[in-house]
Amino acid sequence: MLCQNCQRADATTHLKRIANGEYTEIHLCAECAAALGVTDVFPGFGGGFGNLPGAAFSVTDVRRAGNRALRCETCGFTFEDITRTGKPGCPDCYRVFGEKLKPSLQKIHGRSAVHTGKIPNGASEDTLREHRITELKEKLNRAIDEQNFEQAAQLRDEIRRLSAEEAQV
Amino acid sequence: MSTGTNAKTAYPQGDTVLSSRVRLARNIDGVPFPVRLNATRRAAVNRKVCETLQKAGKKMRVIDMSRLYPYEAVALAERHLISPEFTSGTEGRVLLLTEDERISIMLNEEDHIRIQAIEPGLAPEQAYRNAAAYDDALDAGLRFAFDNRLGYLNQNPRDLGTGLRVSVMMHLPALSKTGGMSKFASMIAKLGMNVRGSYGDAASVKGDIFRISNQVSMGITEAEAIANLKTLAMQIATREHTAAADFVKDIGVRDRITRAEGVLKNAMLLSTDEMMEMLSWVRLGALYGLNGADPDAISEMFVSLQPAALNVTAGAKLTSAQRDELRAEYVRRKLNADGE
Repeated sequence: MLCQNCQRADATTHLKRIANGEYTEIHLCAECAAALGVTDVFPGFGGGFGNLPGAAFSVTDVRRAGNRALRCETCGFTFEDITRTGKPGCPDCYRVFGEKLKPSLQKIHGRSAVHTGKIPNGASEDTLREHRITELKEKLNRAIDEQNFEQAAQLRDEIRRLSAEEAQV
Repeated sequence: MSTGTNAKTAYPQGDTVLSSRVRLARNIDGVPFPVRLNATRRAAVNRKVCETLQKAGKKMRVIDMSRLYPYEAVALAERHLISPEFTSGTEGRVLLLTEDERISIMLNEEDHIRIQAIEPGLAPEQAYRNAAAYDDALDAGLRFAFDNRLGYLNQNPRDLGTGLRVSVMMHLPALSKTGGMSKFASMIAKLGMNVRGSYGDAASVKGDIFRISNQVSMGITEAEAIANLKTLAMQIATREHTAAADFVKDIGVRDRITRAEGVLKNAMLLSTDEMMEMLSWVRLGALYGLNGADPDAISEMFVSLQPAALNVTAGAKLTSAQRDELRAEYVRRKLNADGE
């Protein structure tokens, strides 16, 4: 799709909004989007990314990744399909193309970010155990900060026990 | 901490915070994302979700988006019950809505399931608790796509992790009109949050209403994300109070406020833009005792007098001129009744 402003470059910024009681879509190339300052109220700061569906996975990731034959069995997507559309075709794509997506995901979320927070019912025993360990480690740190060493020792033992279980599996 | 002008509104921090909203993105394991589903498979997702909620005793209105007039769909977006995108390509898209409209669930938007909860004023914890209850109900009957490290597997890689977006809509007339908002933008971005105008386009924010939301959903718990946003909202509210205290002393500003009231009480035609601008002045005046208007009623007018909302009120697609007339009539009636 061509940019609606310059009619030359490919549109990469797709703005979806309600204006004057109507739904409208505006498609702009990166240059025009920047020139028109439509990426955000305050261009250059945070946000705006939600408007750039194609930008999450870049073309360089494709070249780096090589091997285009692998397909996700659930949705039929190849890695190239993901980089072309900027989004995976199904949840399983994250598992199938995990390693290849890693650089892009790290760019978005930071190198060391791992999910902490709610876990669904269907999560595996391993998942639950790992999250339990993370929680206990946080409690342990707090206990040490508060110089509550008796509680810290209990927490440490509990972490050891769970870690041993994990190693056995 | 400043209590500001809270006494004038019924909601927590309601003078600056119009509403709090949370959104949870969820997908069903083993099923391609909606954009890759045909009508039959989308319908299967809708059915499965509805059945699960029914079993859990959650009663919701089921709205088939493809059966709405476009203006009816847009009116739902104006009220922030659905995303703008959800009003287009409506085939196989269903909206579930509780009677009090505090919970809405979009099916087959970007993700299979998007649970949204809105609360008036600064109450993101309550909004999250409400959304989480529906999340738990769905979790009991569906298998959500989840990965140990990546969290909830959602279509947009930015929504991995908790899949939570928490946001507040704030009315910040003094900061906005004195140019103070742009200073905030970089600070807000550094905290992993985003600020943008709620109405109007990127170039011009209408009604001095801003939406502030978290951008980080990975490596942070729901409670932390909510607490961070709440702290930021309180800080912004304090700065608005400080800015407003001086701002409203200015005779030029008082003149704008009283003139705005004059326009709203007398105009025969009122465009959306003019309404937003004038309401913002009058609401500021109301908070500082310069007129007798009800700030909560004005908050409501910002939403209910948007173009598509007026079409819904009238039950037909009106021309722009007809809407301006209807809008002016409503505002005249409302403000003249309140103020006297």
